[in-house]
Amino acid sequence: MTPKPIRQQFADTMLEVGQTDPKLCVLVGDISHFALQPFAKVCPGRYYNIGICEPSMVSVAAGLAKTGLYPVVHTIAPFLIERSFEQFKLDFCYHGLGGSIVTVGSAFDYSNLGCTHHCYGDFALMKTLPGTHIYYPATAAEFDALFRATYKDGRLKLLRLPTRSHTALLPEAVRPGRIVRVREGADLTILATGPQLDSALGAADILAAKSHKTEVLYAPTIRPLDTETLGASVAKTRRIVVVEEHLRSGGLGDDVLRALAGTGPFAYRSVSIPDTLITDYGTYDQHCRRLGLTPQGVAEAAAQILTPGRR
Amino acid sequence: MTARVNSDLRRAIVDLVYKGRDGHIPSAFSIVDLLDHLYGEVLRYDPKAPQWPDRDYFILSKGHGCVALYAVLRKYGFLTDRDLEGFCREGGLLGEHPDSRKVPGAEASTGSLGHGMPFAVGIALGLRIQGAENRIVTLVGDGECHEGTIWESANIAVNLKLGRLCVVVDWNGSAAQLMPQDDLPAKWAAFGWNVRVIDGHAPLEIAAAFAEWRPESVGVPRVIVARTVKGKGVPMIEGHGQWHHRIPSPEDYRAILEILSRP
Repeated sequence: MTPKPIRQQFADTMLEVGQTDPKLCVLVGDISHFALQPFAKVCPGRYYNIGICEPSMVSVAAGLAKTGLYPVVHTIAPFLIERSFEQFKLDFCYHGLGGSIVTVGSAFDYSNLGCTHHCYGDFALMKTLPGTHIYYPATAAEFDALFRATYKDGRLKLLRLPTRSHTALLPEAVRPGRIVRVREGADLTILATGPQLDSALGAADILAAKSHKTEVLYAPTIRPLDTETLGASVAKTRRIVVVEEHLRSGGLGDDVLRALAGTGPFAYRSVSIPDTLITDYGTYDQHCRRLGLTPQGVAEAAAQILTPGRR
Repeated sequence: MTARVNSDLRRAIVDLVYKGRDGHIPSAFSIVDLLDHLYGEVLRYDPKAPQWPDRDYFILSKGHGCVALYAVLRKYGFLTDRDLEGFCREGGLLGEHPDSRKVPGAEASTGSLGHGMPFAVGIALGLRIQGAENRIVTLVGDGECHEGTIWESANIAVNLKLGRLCVVVDWNGSAAQLMPQDDLPAKWAAFGWNVRVIDGHAPLEIAAAFAEWRPESVGVPRVIVARTVKGKGVPMIEGHGQWHHRIPSPEDYRAILEILSRP
């Protein structure tokens, strides 16, 4: 069965939450306009398609928060996170105001649209804003759960919506700030975020054929990082591969290294986007293959540190 | 041009900058007559309860004019002399740009130009969504009107028909120093705003411009384009020269106070 698109769930969650909470307001930059029409009809006066002026949309949203409302801003990731960065820094963070940034088109989801429509430094940028939280829900249910749990927590937060969902069945529901242990193992930890959970599980299968027992962790929250679950896993395996659709610099992997520093020796590999701009075209899957964001690519990175004595 | 003296406020501004060793005197003199009228005659507020829900909102979008705001907030009871003494000092409330989380009566933390106005648009929209009748006034600089977000938010406000929003433009000629096409009233009119041009130092013109304002929940937002003089009131600092961010020497300080003490 085809999973429900996360973006459709975004529209459905707005509709459901908006009916019970009169403080929820949604501003979009001409994205998801038709999907959000049910919300617009049922919650009149609380939906605005502001147009193509993202920085001002963000400032307007901060103004809404100043009056006590819960704003959601939504459009394509680079135009929100990169173009409007100072608006988040000053109009939300400096004022101590909360709101939800819901992006589509992060990483290289809009693969053929090229460099202007890619955004794979968003975790790094948001992490420079103290107090902000970062979520990467990679199924419809995960978005619904994380949004409902956080939209009125008074913080600025990013919810990065991937086009593709992962296909794993999780052993527990996602909760803000928690890593989910998807598979147990003692030889190696693979920590994945977003749809790359599928690559992590595929790599674990490849490694299992070679008698390596892999522990697979899944992080729908990038910040705050669940260092307890992470630390317990690596204390056992002493090896970790981090898999993410983000620049190597400033991504989840950097936070993992900081969290594990001083906890004893461990081996580390990152499967991510090298520190360069992507200028290739092609499908999402073709980009993933080029970057090694595949089961085979992750398994190869793992093999480098599974060799006895390699760190 | 009819001068409104407001010598006490101008003296307070010069004191702040001289003692705090920082600040923009000419930018503050340019707007102080407008701010005095707003707080004296137009805005509803309670200085003892700055967060009073029914208050009108004033957002100083050109944050570098904040010494004028501080002097006015002192005059109308939000700040104390002790607060002013802490200007630009460690542990003080008042810096060279206003911090709304510290300064009673400062609704927005501004300084980077082009933020306060779109923030004010959001406040106006948020209050209307909640059925409130507060009025929202924001003051932008004419140089600030170089910023794209001023025109983005002007477009948003007029399309959302935010009739309780009034923008005051401090048209002191700063913008024309860099971009000589100095047609701000025409630009605002082209964006669909209700435009009124006044002398921003003439009490009767300022009063008339606000008295004519008829805020309504759904309506055309109003812009008052106020012709002003940077450094107004003290000829030696008027204009666009070195005084923009200059701290008076002891001799300058005495000379400025002497000019302001003249009847």
